[in-house]
Amino acid sequence: MKINKTDILKIEDFLWEIPKAFHPKMRVPARILASEPLLDAIMEDRSLVQLVNVASLPGIKGASLVMPDVHEGYGFPIGGVAATLYPEGAISPGGIGYDINCGVRLLTSNQKIEEIKDKLEGLSKEMYAQIPSGMGKGGQIKLSAQEMDEVLLKGAEWAVEKGYGVKEDLDFMESKGRLENADPSMVSEMAKKRGTDQLGTIGSGNHFVEVDYVEEIYEESIAEAYGLSKGQVVVLIHTGSRGLGHQVATDNIRQIMSAMLKYSIEVPDRELACVPFNSEEGQHYFKAMCAAANYAWCNREVISWEARTAWRNIFGPAIEPLKLMYDVAHNIAKVETHLVDGKQAQVIVHRKGATRAFGPGFEELPKSYKLVGQPVIIPGSMGTCSYVLAGASRSNELTFGSCCHGAGRRLSRTAAKKQVNAPVLKENLKEKGIFVEAGSFKGLAEEAPIAYKDVNIVVETVIDSGIAKKVAKLRPVVVVKG
Amino acid sequence: MKIRYLPHMADIRMKIEGSTLEELFIAGVLGMGNILREGFCDKNGPFVLKSKIELMAQDETCLLIDFLSWVLTTSYSEKAIFCEVVFFELTRKKIRAEIHGRQQSQGFDEEIKAVTYHEADVHKNNNGDWVTLIIFDI
Repeated sequence: MKINKTDILKIEDFLWEIPKAFHPKMRVPARILASEPLLDAIMEDRSLVQLVNVASLPGIKGASLVMPDVHEGYGFPIGGVAATLYPEGAISPGGIGYDINCGVRLLTSNQKIEEIKDKLEGLSKEMYAQIPSGMGKGGQIKLSAQEMDEVLLKGAEWAVEKGYGVKEDLDFMESKGRLENADPSMVSEMAKKRGTDQLGTIGSGNHFVEVDYVEEIYEESIAEAYGLSKGQVVVLIHTGSRGLGHQVATDNIRQIMSAMLKYSIEVPDRELACVPFNSEEGQHYFKAMCAAANYAWCNREVISWEARTAWRNIFGPAIEPLKLMYDVAHNIAKVETHLVDGKQAQVIVHRKGATRAFGPGFEELPKSYKLVGQPVIIPGSMGTCSYVLAGASRSNELTFGSCCHGAGRRLSRTAAKKQVNAPVLKENLKEKGIFVEAGSFKGLAEEAPIAYKDVNIVVETVIDSGIAKKVAKLRPVVVVKG
Repeated sequence: MKIRYLPHMADIRMKIEGSTLEELFIAGVLGMGNILREGFCDKNGPFVLKSKIELMAQDETCLLIDFLSWVLTTSYSEKAIFCEVVFFELTRKKIRAEIHGRQQSQGFDEEIKAVTYHEADVHKNNNGDWVTLIIFDI
């Protein structure tokens, strides 16, 4: 399949469409949220072919969508959103990804960057010491079989109950850090074994813990509601469900692939394997996915506890503890109510590398955020900047309440390694006031700023399209990577 | 047997070839082991850690991916890298085998989240060799 620019219609300045007529297997159009230069960049890999394939999923509604940070994935593109009709529409593990509930959270401090500048190097080393990162690094917690089931059932609540978390945090997480449909008995023993010692670990790849400061505020009233102010120091955490989630996905993709024949489902790519949501296999996966999502929320809560420990060790026991601003998932499937064909309907929203971005009034939000909309956290790269946005009501109209999740890669890992001298990069970042602690130079090179698109352009696109508002820009000063 | 790593935007794309299906499966195991720890299988024998597997799948492509997924899972659960395969039975839809490896106490270089089915297509090329691409989610 080849897609030319002439196959793509311009709907609005930042919205493009590949019509349903483009391919006989498409059940809905495919839509791209991007500026024209970004669209041209997106067309350089196979993202749009994958987007067209997603449009063939049984029960898909509206359009298959990609955000401006999209890049080629496997099956689904990364940065993709697909909503299928509840309860008989498809659920596809590929539409969530192997790292179930990979997500980000932001913790705020009451310190200003000027007050802690001379302690940043020490803070970077303490963060690295307290937060296990990289391959094969187990955490401090070793879960028994019963504790594992409790984590899978309760999510972040488990960490709070055991003293690894803060009760007030729970209100400030998507779904309060716990999906009710989780069923630990749907998670294989092997998946549980892989998760036994990984709570409180960030892993490797693009996962990280950063200390940033608020460089700029764009919407004063929203920033105030979120507790953000210029110069304030914050902590950004990006990780997911670790080996447990990877195993849940692997186990279920295999099972679902075998079951597709039973439901007469054919897909153009094996990684799009899917079954009806309300089938036995669909429910098995969904309940296991919810359990893995809960593990991820618990993981990020325990990592926050480690970050808070590092904070106290550097700034002393009297320091005001770090406070959770918000925690959002960007690899997940959820049953939500959206406008479909002019009517409110329940749909199964798959977000793979896309963040929920609900606007003002959303019931689940904590009281202080209800009037301004849900926080959306967009990490950039280690040498550039990240953003805090606020979901806007137009996201419900255009993207099933979704937004981008990061800058998006522009160079392959191989290309990045060829172009980047990691020790030099580390020194250059230090000269710019960014202290990096990484498990390997190879990993550092792969995640170099040059490997990513310009997050500013990605963010401007979502702002101009009206699906989110720009609230604050964050600048990194400490980066811990696996 | 040939193992090559090709560019991919976010993950690792590996191309493997073998004159027999057995060789292709061994190439997959060696290629994946090399990602987990570069050069591990070249110098760390004898491979005394053993694990048996029996798997069935709908075709040879699924069989290879399911087999490598199982080897990967065993690598994580045993904190080991596997480098050798002894086949008891290998058809297009079934494998019975034993993998041999060694524990790797210093950790791995790379975390492979999963062996994906995307782009995998086990087939014979014009030279009569078995060949496929494999994408590893990193």
